[in-house]
Amino acid sequence: MRDKILYILGAAAVLLIARNIYVISGLPGEEAQGAIFKIIFFHVPLAITALTSATVAFVASVLFLVTKDFKYDALAVSVTEVGLAFLAGNLITGSIWARIIWGVWWAWDVRLTSALVCWILYASYLMIRHAVEEPTQRAKLAAVVSIFAFIDVPIVYLSIRLFRTQHPGPVFFSSEGSFPHDWSMIMMWNLFAMLMLGTVMTMIRLRQEEAQREIDSLRRLAHAF
Amino acid sequence: MHAFLPFLLAQAATPEDIVREAARLQRNYEFLSYGLIVAWLVLVVYVLMMVSRERRLKREIASLKAMMEERPKK
Repeated sequence: MRDKILYILGAAAVLLIARNIYVISGLPGEEAQGAIFKIIFFHVPLAITALTSATVAFVASVLFLVTKDFKYDALAVSVTEVGLAFLAGNLITGSIWARIIWGVWWAWDVRLTSALVCWILYASYLMIRHAVEEPTQRAKLAAVVSIFAFIDVPIVYLSIRLFRTQHPGPVFFSSEGSFPHDWSMIMMWNLFAMLMLGTVMTMIRLRQEEAQREIDSLRRLAHAF
Repeated sequence: MHAFLPFLLAQAATPEDIVREAARLQRNYEFLSYGLIVAWLVLVVYVLMMVSRERRLKREIASLKAMMEERPKK
């Protein structure tokens, strides 16, 4: 039953994204940037989904250290892995936009650098998990690394608000933005679809983590005989 | 006067002007497509990795359970 709900939600998210792509393709290009401007409708939701995942991983890691309940460790690793895929999509779409508008694939400004550091930190989190064999030790170390990595998340969010960057200033959730209302609605729908997709992927990954725990306990049992 | 300006401008624009303006606004469409294809490809590859991991885990659980069932018989 749980599987069916997950697959229905996943299919709904994919259909919603397909519908959004159709709507976005019909929008006119922006005066200065042309059609490449439309990448914002994906670039921003990918970033918000990735940073939301990082926040959930932070909360789950703190809860694991407090309660020592392994379900929080499983949630932290699942949501981090999914968030990393979304953040990779965000960095790639941003880089392609920069190639057209700035003439370079990459610029070492505060927003881009902090986002890349965020990706590297969470990739290190996953690598550390592979390096430690003992489950309790692995979960404790991973939780500490996840909490440390989260320090970068507010820096990524605030970088375009606090520093003068090459990256454009905030257009959403800010009084400085001048995005038309109907375009903001399309963006919100896309954000909703991506958050839904991220949630479904996290739930599927969480189920795999539970299966891995079952395998670990079966192995221990097999060794005990 | 300002109210009539768009009307007057619309009168002055030829069909070629409109086609040219539409093409100008739709420029860089190719790069937009590349961007979206790559972004979705990352997510599709990740989903495929999850599917293969799920299969491996199911196989492993089945083989371990089979092993556990065989042991007490000996």
